[in-house]
Amino acid sequence: MAAACAEMEPAAAPPSPSPAPAAAPGSGELVCAQGRNLKAVLCQRCGSRVLLPGAATFARRELLLPAMRKKAAAAAGGGGGSGGDVVREHWLVRDMFSFENVGFTRDVGNVKFLVCADCEAGPIGWHCLDDKESFYVALERVAHE
Amino acid sequence: MEPGSGLQQRRAGGGGGLDLGAGSAAGSPALSGGQARRRKQPPRPADFKLQVIIIGSRGVGKTSLMERFTDDTFCEACKSTVGVDFKIKTVELRGKKIRLQIWDTAGQERFNSITSAYYRSAKGIILVYDITKKETFDDLPKWMKMIDKYASEDAELLLVGNKLDCEVDREITRQQGEKFAQQITGMRFCEASAKDNFNVDEIFLKLVDDILKKMPLDVIRNELSNSILSLQPEPEIPPELPPPRPHVRCC
Repeated sequence: MAAACAEMEPAAAPPSPSPAPAAAPGSGELVCAQGRNLKAVLCQRCGSRVLLPGAATFARRELLLPAMRKKAAAAAGGGGGSGGDVVREHWLVRDMFSFENVGFTRDVGNVKFLVCADCEAGPIGWHCLDDKESFYVALERVAHE
Repeated sequence: MEPGSGLQQRRAGGGGGLDLGAGSAAGSPALSGGQARRRKQPPRPADFKLQVIIIGSRGVGKTSLMERFTDDTFCEACKSTVGVDFKIKTVELRGKKIRLQIWDTAGQERFNSITSAYYRSAKGIILVYDITKKETFDDLPKWMKMIDKYASEDAELLLVGNKLDCEVDREITRQQGEKFAQQITGMRFCEASAKDNFNVDEIFLKLVDDILKKMPLDVIRNELSNSILSLQPEPEIPPELPPPRPHVRCC
């Protein structure tokens, strides 16, 4: 089931990773003692509010997200077939309605990518249709306030 | 998803400003400031969850109504090839925090290609035409037939004449739009420009306000939360399969 998802290492990450702020260099100041997000999660581009503080838990999982590039850059680069980044640190949201504002792309296989609800910058996150209770937002693709 | 979990009455109603948290993205003091300060508690769950669909003929600007910026250059992977399926947006109205699940039916404009599931669970339906294209106005009765056939009878209807920024090319007068809306029980009307963002936030607020006004709270608690569509792929139900409901709206 999980293998069908665009996932790098399905076996490496359980569905409910235990919050481990200490093991997350660079994200320590963003994670509270309970493993939740201390700050609000915003769109890097337009500042749209994606998550309120405390709405998500920190999770590690290797996921492949298509590159976040401008159209012009993509055209100059000759298409984006291989364009993608492996992202490892995420905010994990269990309920779709915990988001303040977020957009879901149409299905790509059994995955929906998450984008900014206002300016559609993204993908900022990842959701596999096989797991209805897991929505990942990549730390490196959002701003924190 | 726990259908009833977010529906407790957390705050007394009344007095709240009309701040659309989603729309005023970069600076939404009413929503963001207040919420951000409450760091010791988990975020307040939404009071209500409502599903809204945007329908109308091809090219009328349905997708633009969902967007904040129309000069998007980002995310060729999402926008151009994949497209956005739906959005969650949060609105504060009358002291209530409302999560809207907004479905844009763009790309499925042919009248009978939109599955009835979209209509069935919608509490708000935004029907859009283009004031500069008469044919999109002439299509409205066909869209109304779809609404009459599939939508819940208590769904709030809002007719939107879009592209108000193209006034010089106008083919449909404001009066024509008003007249059409008046023929349909409970249908509201407004003109808007998604390009200029004129009236766009107001459209969603107006619709939500109408929905909230119409529904007793216990009904909202019991029904609306269950009306949210899941992420299951939509079955391609031919439109002739579900039984038609009585044509109560059309004259």
